[in-house]
Amino acid sequence: MDAPYAIEMVNITKRFPGIIANDNITLQLRKGEIHALLGENGAGKSTLMSVLFGLYQAEEGVIKKDGKEVKINNPNDANDLGIGMVHQHFKLVQCFTVLENIILGVESTKGGVLQMDEARAKVKALSEKYGLQVDPDAKIEDITVGMQQRTEILKMLFRDNEILIFDEPTAVLTPQEIEELMVIMNNLREEGKSILFITHKLNEIKAVADRVTVLRRGKYIGTVDVATTSKEEMSRMMVGRDVNMVVDKEPAKPGDVILKVENMTVASKMHSNNAVKHVNLEVHEGEIVCIAGIDGNGQTEFVYGLTGMEPLVEGKITLCGEDITKSSIRQDRHKHGLVLDYPLEYNMILQRYYQPDFTSGAGFLKRKEIREYSERLEKEYDVRSGQGPITIARAMSGGNQQKAIIAREIDKDHKLLVAVQPTRGLDVGAIEGVHRQLIEERDNGRAVLLISLELEEVMNVPDRILVMYEGEIVGELDPKKTTVEELGLYMAGAKRNVTVDANSSEIEESEVIDTAAARKEEA
Amino acid sequence: MKDKKFSLKNPSLQSILTSLICIILGLLIGYIVLLMINPAGAGEAIKTILLNFLSRSSAAAQMKALGNTLAKTAPLLMCALSICFCYKVGLFNIGAPGQYEAGACIGLYAALAWHMNWVLCLIFAALAGAVVGAISGALKAYRNVNEVISGIMLNWIMLYLTNMVLSSKKVKDPASPYTIKLMSGNKSALIPSAGLNKLFANNTTVTIAIPLAILFAILIWVILSKTKFGYELRATGFNKEAARYAGMKEKQNIIITLAIGGALAGVGAAFLFLTGYQEWSTTQTSVPGMGFNGIAATFLGGLHPIGTIFASFFIQSITDGGALINKSVYPSQISDLISSIIIYLCAFVLFFKYALNKWISKRDKGGPNVNDVPVTDNAAKKEGGDK
Amino acid sequence: MVLLLQYTIIFASVLCLVALGGCFSEHSGVINLGLEGIMVMGALGGAVTMFLLPAGTSKIVIVLATTLFAILIGMIYSCLLGLACINFKADQTLVGTAMNLLATAAATVFVRAMNTSINPDNVSSSIQYIQPKKAFLKYIGGFEFNWFMVMAVVLLIASWFVLYKTKFGLRLMACGENPQAADSVGINVYKMRWAGVLISGFLGGLGGIVYITAGVSEWKFEMGVAGFGFLALAVMIFGQWKPTRIALAALLFGLFRALSNVYTGIPILAAMKLPSTVYNMLPYIISLVVLAFTSKNSRAPKAEGIPYDKGMR
Repeated sequence: MDAPYAIEMVNITKRFPGIIANDNITLQLRKGEIHALLGENGAGKSTLMSVLFGLYQAEEGVIKKDGKEVKINNPNDANDLGIGMVHQHFKLVQCFTVLENIILGVESTKGGVLQMDEARAKVKALSEKYGLQVDPDAKIEDITVGMQQRTEILKMLFRDNEILIFDEPTAVLTPQEIEELMVIMNNLREEGKSILFITHKLNEIKAVADRVTVLRRGKYIGTVDVATTSKEEMSRMMVGRDVNMVVDKEPAKPGDVILKVENMTVASKMHSNNAVKHVNLEVHEGEIVCIAGIDGNGQTEFVYGLTGMEPLVEGKITLCGEDITKSSIRQDRHKHGLVLDYPLEYNMILQRYYQPDFTSGAGFLKRKEIREYSERLEKEYDVRSGQGPITIARAMSGGNQQKAIIAREIDKDHKLLVAVQPTRGLDVGAIEGVHRQLIEERDNGRAVLLISLELEEVMNVPDRILVMYEGEIVGELDPKKTTVEELGLYMAGAKRNVTVDANSSEIEESEVIDTAAARKEEA
Repeated sequence: MKDKKFSLKNPSLQSILTSLICIILGLLIGYIVLLMINPAGAGEAIKTILLNFLSRSSAAAQMKALGNTLAKTAPLLMCALSICFCYKVGLFNIGAPGQYEAGACIGLYAALAWHMNWVLCLIFAALAGAVVGAISGALKAYRNVNEVISGIMLNWIMLYLTNMVLSSKKVKDPASPYTIKLMSGNKSALIPSAGLNKLFANNTTVTIAIPLAILFAILIWVILSKTKFGYELRATGFNKEAARYAGMKEKQNIIITLAIGGALAGVGAAFLFLTGYQEWSTTQTSVPGMGFNGIAATFLGGLHPIGTIFASFFIQSITDGGALINKSVYPSQISDLISSIIIYLCAFVLFFKYALNKWISKRDKGGPNVNDVPVTDNAAKKEGGDK
Repeated sequence: MVLLLQYTIIFASVLCLVALGGCFSEHSGVINLGLEGIMVMGALGGAVTMFLLPAGTSKIVIVLATTLFAILIGMIYSCLLGLACINFKADQTLVGTAMNLLATAAATVFVRAMNTSINPDNVSSSIQYIQPKKAFLKYIGGFEFNWFMVMAVVLLIASWFVLYKTKFGLRLMACGENPQAADSVGINVYKMRWAGVLISGFLGGLGGIVYITAGVSEWKFEMGVAGFGFLALAVMIFGQWKPTRIALAALLFGLFRALSNVYTGIPILAAMKLPSTVYNMLPYIISLVVLAFTSKNSRAPKAEGIPYDKGMR
């Protein structure tokens, strides 16, 4: 017999100008279940949650609590209904203690004085009941990310919330911490709490969730039982089959090694664990290598490490045979910055302004040359703006800002092009344009390293795919031979074919032993 | 109608418009204060403040008074340029008065104790200001000290230091708390008039300092908008990260910027004290208002060096006008009140512009929009073309 | 030596009060560079009250009324900061600076207008309060005890209590550290920031009247408060935004400030024959040096100076 629904979002539609973020989505969370919400970046998960918390009002559809329709106009309404959320970026005050953070907003006082003892006792009891070990008097800034997350969970429990939402809770955790979190979630379910678990990671869904609702591009794909659905099926539901945007290209003719990264490890700013772990890779001239993976698996830190914006914990980077690990300023690095208050033309020369092309011997900017250069780039790369070169960058659309950066970077004289999510925010036509340019770059004998979150791009543009999962390269795939489903499994950490310290393509296919999953089956 | 719409979206025009709103509101509040003090003469008083030299009776007196106002506009403009230049690089140079004091100190000392000519005195004044500015800059760059607080501290330190240095027997008039008049102490240190005084009813304080200050304004504008150096500094001010990634030296830029700002303020002091307009009083216990009025001129001038020229003249003019009102009824500080209200209102400029643009876009709604979707609210103002 | 102690304590009281004012404002997330102006306004409110109270008013009434009006005017004036920086998200540095200039100008205009209206020949910007000031004083031997010293100590303890022991303090500090977090648990960030600013107006206004009555019996409002508001900010930074440390820092700075009043009476210092300007400069120089050594690792509230916008989550 199925439990009744704790909260229901029925036929929710939320439109933004030019886009339907949620198109007739239904999400029904049963009492005492862990319900996963699965979808790629941009599938509409965060919009749906914003609707649930009253940050947005849906145009159509209703929200029901215990079968009764409710109106949620702001986060306080949601709190009053017993809905709590662990945000991806914790809402904690760093210099407060765990206890202070927990009671913030629901403090009890006697004669104006904070009554901490009572609260401490309640927190201790909750900690024991659910296995949430954390010192209530430790300061947030001194404890691990995992403990901070427990503080967030305790915050919800302290408020007696019945519906707990976890927004990608494992993104910032170490494997051990993830395992502990899975146990905690199980405990919470056993105590009758209803949990909504937002994630892209199939293994985790398999490990703890009862049912899963899948969204894709703002649309509701379906809700299925986890026990009876394979990871492959879920992956298919998540990415869809309609990946048919084929990019015309000749087979690659790789030449010499341009970029060689050996054993690169980069520390994380978010947690004490390393964000990039022992990465080895090579990019040859005349090939496009893509680092694929779900957002937050170390790609950003990898780029920071590669471009010298972050120091390496260890490792070596060789560019065209030259060790550039320690050079302080790397002229070839990719810079994804715009000075938003500068006109477009000034942004186009941001890394080259000092060159004789743009600055005269006397130190004056060559306005005419800059203008012409900017106009040329705008035309070649189809950068659209209100007033051409004199448009302030801030006034341009995100997509065109993106294109301006691409134009600037590609137009530089270089051996290696590092393109980080070059098509994010672009429309289909523009995406094609960027892909064409990347391939043209390759055909001109340059080495291209593409970092992408978009599956179609990963499948169509590169000559080799390296999948990054939790800071490691877990798989090397040939886009012509692999399938989206297989790629999805690698990206979700369910499969790997590269061992941590391998720097050759020694392929050893093995399912990752999933301790959390095993534990669940025992239970 | 169409033309008007387009011109309203022009950012320069918007700046002028918002400045005018600030001025009008400032004057209005000043007028209300005058009414509260004594309703009978309030209208006359506000008129005097506004008209300043024009309220004099004869043409010659008017020109002479205009000359005085201009003579004090030059140092004010330099202080405003100092603040404007630093603000463009993201630094709030409230230490301009301290740099101004340093300029006065060394400029006058060079003139009276070392008997140098005016060019050298000017250079020394600039250097002194630059050193004080650089101290703030270095504290900011290397010790993370907020430039506003270090600036204020240096304002007071330099005030007392200047009083101390200029109390020396070599430069101070033994009979008064003032420094020796340059006329008697060292004529060569007086900035030449080059015949300009003839235009202003032989007002000897009208010197080439006035055109020089305007030249400085143009120079600052050229440096900021036309050179590689200005490009770097402004990029640093707008977006430190992007500037650093483009290989610019952020710390060095902070120090250089405040040093330049300091030099400008130092020259400003020289432009006052080397014209013989007034002498330094070694017993003064408050930081000269010149630097602070510079803040008003900067913001009123829409943070543009050229706009600053006009704003400086306006601020100086109402300050001098304030001195002309009937002192037995109204306090002359009413002008300071008006300029400080204007500064306060300038804090709302962004809001004014935002409201203006919102109003424009509301009015334009439904009209053809060929441009990109703006990513920010104030983006609308960039849409109007001047092509 | 008694004199040095007396001046140290009274100046430390000023610095402590004003720095605590800055502390509350900054803990709520608003940088208050306008403290100097708030002090001037508080001083004006207090001085005018003392001036206008009829001769023969009982001491307790003088003390209470003066204090009350200084505080009231300080709080009203701080609304300029709150309005611009919290509601209109204006540049906090610019607003603070404008408030400092405005306060001195407005106070001067007011005092001169007041003086002239009483006596058309009086165009000075000074207020005398020789007689009413005595209400605050009590002589204990050679030591001139001032009721303001008690108020400073009481408010110091109260500040510590409010910040660390009450619900309000917890919420206030949350708004200065992480307003998004505070908002997510249903705290109204705007309200808390207004509270912080108003408290800084309260303490700043009180500090103003204490300052101008500290050593003299007449104040010339054209002088403002001589950068004391900024010294208080330096005290606050040196005190790491913590009331107890602020009190100690205030004593140190108070000592240096007191030296300029009494150095002639201290044989060793008098023998050194340094010009008086050296002592005038001392507090400012000390604060620059102290800031240079403490700003690097400052524990300033993380979200201070950043306008909070509910839309930007």
